[in-house]
Amino acid sequence: MVEQTRVYYQEELEKLEASALGGLDLVSAALGRTLEAVEHQDVELAQLVVADDDRIDGRYLEVHQALITLLATQSPVATDLRLISAMLHVLKNVERMGDQCVNVCKLIPLSGNEPPSDEEMVKLILTMGTQTRALIGQAKRAFADRDVELAHDLVRQDDVVDDLNRDCFRLALEIGDDADRREWAMTMLLAARAIERTADNAVDIGEQVAFVVTGLFREFEDASHPTP
Amino acid sequence: MAQDESRAGTGREAREAAAARATIAVRPEEFQHGRDIAREKVFELNGVEVLYSGVSAVKDISMDIHRNDVTALIGPSGCGKSTLLRCLNRMNDLIPGAEVNGELLYHGEDLYGPAVDPVQVRKLIGMVFQKPNPFPKSIYDNVAFGPRVLGRKDDLDATVEKALRGAALWDEVKDRLKSNAFGLSGGQQQRLCIARCIAVQPDTILMDEPCSALDPISTGKIEDLMIELKSEFSIVIVTHNMQQAARVSDRTAFLMVELDADEQNRWGRLVEYDETEKIFTNPADRRTEDYVSGKVG
Repeated sequence: MVEQTRVYYQEELEKLEASALGGLDLVSAALGRTLEAVEHQDVELAQLVVADDDRIDGRYLEVHQALITLLATQSPVATDLRLISAMLHVLKNVERMGDQCVNVCKLIPLSGNEPPSDEEMVKLILTMGTQTRALIGQAKRAFADRDVELAHDLVRQDDVVDDLNRDCFRLALEIGDDADRREWAMTMLLAARAIERTADNAVDIGEQVAFVVTGLFREFEDASHPTP
Repeated sequence: MAQDESRAGTGREAREAAAARATIAVRPEEFQHGRDIAREKVFELNGVEVLYSGVSAVKDISMDIHRNDVTALIGPSGCGKSTLLRCLNRMNDLIPGAEVNGELLYHGEDLYGPAVDPVQVRKLIGMVFQKPNPFPKSIYDNVAFGPRVLGRKDDLDATVEKALRGAALWDEVKDRLKSNAFGLSGGQQQRLCIARCIAVQPDTILMDEPCSALDPISTGKIEDLMIELKSEFSIVIVTHNMQQAARVSDRTAFLMVELDADEQNRWGRLVEYDETEKIFTNPADRRTEDYVSGKVG
């Protein structure tokens, strides 16, 4: 006597989840190109990333609108409602992560064609970026599998990025008296900062995984009330 | 959110601002479902079973219904929600072969005790039905009917006006009180039935799908009315419209049909009963989840 109903609605919801999480793949690709542009001081590639951000914004707008329509027409409740709320957060984070890649890419022309770069600092930024890409992939897997433990592990992974960011800061302080090198280091600090925030966005997605599964929202880490 | 590395400022101003925020901020752990304060119980059901000619319609229902709450009963057709509603004011007594077992307390007293007068019960616990059922009389006489039967004839005009105002109908009918009630629209007729119900000053109103025959505007008016009326009365509503339960009720009970091993007999059973917000955002039982999200019929 139990029969499945609302099949179309369920299919639509699954399609939108795949589309929202697919946004994370777009971001991961954008971050990969951003790192390449930083490594090779490739201004053209950086411009490509900036132009390509329209795709990420387009995905955000498209899925966001479809979710609003679903809310208006299907009256989702319980797990479906939590999933839709979480997807809206995921999309916002996807859009922010895309913008952070753009922020980094816009810095690349500012440092000039042959910048007085510091190899160690560039290496740190590339490591941060690679680690952040791993976080993005892990956030996607945790969401798709509804794996709260994997989502919570993002905090540990994010600590690595935070530590690298602090190392960048220390390196910038010790960069020396040369005005050009100091300017370059300050610019690169902004890039490091943008990548660090991108990793935070991945952690925020992890928090949404816990919300979908448990129905309770908990910040994994609370910047205003840090644990000692 | 994750730590924002740029906001590591430790100025006095920042510290003071943080202290001010801490005093007003609601920490997430303080959020919890449910109201902890003790609520006055109107009905206490313990292992209630209703049988028609010896066959169970609902079984093993245990729940408390609280004062000044709107309590919604939801569930698929045949799950016994109307049966359960009707045993709350002994309407099932009127059906030959109907039998109620278990304990059903009303304000702590056995509703089915030998000394209890069913007519007195129905005076205190009024009922509004699916289809508006005004008497073939004037608007005024419909509302005045109950008080007249009960011998409350003093100041009848004031009683009628109060009841019509309470049912949010006064402004629409004050100039045609002597007109036949059948001249009203469906929504107005249903509000007239609510006025007729509250004119005898009950303590609880039972509503059996009160909006299923009404258009969305009339439904909206009845729903607003329920929210207004709950400050004075306790309301129990049976509805097929889950969004209506979500909109108007404080607590929701989900019943579903259960079958015996050889699928010969079926009866209704209470699956989950909780705060409405909990039922519609994070129900504890998978069957509730599937029903409220419309995944199973």
